[in-house]
Amino acid sequence: MTEEPIIQIQNVSKNFGKIQAVNDVTLDVHVGEVVVIIGPSGGGKSTLLRCINRLEVVDQGDIIVDGVSVKNTKKINRVREEIGMVFQLFNLFPHLTALENIVLAQHIVRKRKKKESEEIAHFQLNKVGIGEKWDAYPSQLSGGQQQRVAIARALAMDPKIMLFDEPTSALDPEMIKGVLDVMLDLAEEGMTMVVVSHEMGFVRAAADRIAFLDFGELVELTTPEKLFTNPGTERTREFLSQILH
Amino acid sequence: MTLDSTKAKLEEKIPINWSRIPWWAIILAMVGLVIGISILTSETYLKVIRFVGVGMGLTLRVTVISYGIALIVGLFLGLMRVSDNPIFYAFSTLYVEVMRGLPILVIILYTGFVIVPKLRGWTGLNLQGLPAAILGLAVGYAAYVAEVFRGGIESIERGQMEAARSLGMSYVEAMRHIILPQAVRRVLPPLGNNFVAMLKDSSLISVIALEDLLQRGRLYVSRTYRAFEGYNTVALLYLVMTLGLSLVVRYIERRSQID
Repeated sequence: MTEEPIIQIQNVSKNFGKIQAVNDVTLDVHVGEVVVIIGPSGGGKSTLLRCINRLEVVDQGDIIVDGVSVKNTKKINRVREEIGMVFQLFNLFPHLTALENIVLAQHIVRKRKKKESEEIAHFQLNKVGIGEKWDAYPSQLSGGQQQRVAIARALAMDPKIMLFDEPTSALDPEMIKGVLDVMLDLAEEGMTMVVVSHEMGFVRAAADRIAFLDFGELVELTTPEKLFTNPGTERTREFLSQILH
Repeated sequence: MTLDSTKAKLEEKIPINWSRIPWWAIILAMVGLVIGISILTSETYLKVIRFVGVGMGLTLRVTVISYGIALIVGLFLGLMRVSDNPIFYAFSTLYVEVMRGLPILVIILYTGFVIVPKLRGWTGLNLQGLPAAILGLAVGYAAYVAEVFRGGIESIERGQMEAARSLGMSYVEAMRHIILPQAVRRVLPPLGNNFVAMLKDSSLISVIALEDLLQRGRLYVSRTYRAFEGYNTVALLYLVMTLGLSLVVRYIERRSQID
């Protein structure tokens, strides 16, 4: 690819006290690419993802998102506007309805008029398949529905990049498919996505590349075909044998 | 669960739980009724109430104004205590620690007899009397209110701020639209309790010769030497106000638990 990568992770390290969460990771993500980060828990997957929109501050190295460094604190809100983030525990605003959850940031950050942002909110809710739940509060929704509202909330900001931090691991098994289907649709539309997930069905269907992170190190960067047929390292093989049963 | 069934559940009548009835309030109300009748039929007590009750207006006015100021100042102090800015944090922490370390009575005497006269000497601004009392109470209680707000803000899950920031909101926008609306709902009960506490502490302003409820009682006693009737009436009138307010606070508490 000749185009400049939209996310450039350059020799990033991050410590929490004595624990090295991310250790000298370098990784580029190109426009339209879906990169899935896998690895054992505590391996630094979420930390690396959270560094991309500066929810965690990198200790060493740098991350350039769409030409702007996340170290540029003056421009960080502009960077975040372009990145949608979906959390493991949804983090919907409990005092607002589904529609209000999606409208608020459009109104404040994107300066859209009320009517316009409500139309976009309804559109996004329909897209994730829960258009009829627009006036429900988060506590009245199932986990899967909440996560879909959270995805709609992020999409309403027209982000260039979507980050997913274990979006299905807090969901009941029967709720997972609905959320994964929404993510698959997004990937097909060409959204640039970085996903921390162990849903191997999603990895097979949507991932362009897979990053295997262990003890904060990028052990292997590979494609789904190679990962499943011929993992490059012993550690990857070991990990896969534990999650594929 | 569908929305309709949730709504139906909320609207369902909650069966009466006999142990949750505020028996203490009922007993108190009955005792109060007996005392009330005996007082209202007694010529002496009617006279005392007429004389002492005048002070209730001042007590309520001072409390409402002081608490209003304490709420505003306390909110900002509380926000400064959760701020990353080291100057804001240091200032508000110092303020809270000092004010909570002083008895309210000392603060009131200090504002009444030190700060206000000095201020008058330097600037000609005269805050003697009522303004001094309001200032003292507000300044002291702002520290307690600040701690309540701080606790409320810190009780909101970290993910809320992270979600707001990752949508591109600034810290201030996230605080205003996401964190505070949730935090305020959670701190309503403790704020209500603080209000009741301030109503009682407002009796301390009698030391700077303001004719609040307590001061009127003391005046009555010093004129008539009827301490029994005088202080009975003072106590009764304070109880009417504080118990009434406590019931309001309980109601708010129950409402906020439903959410």
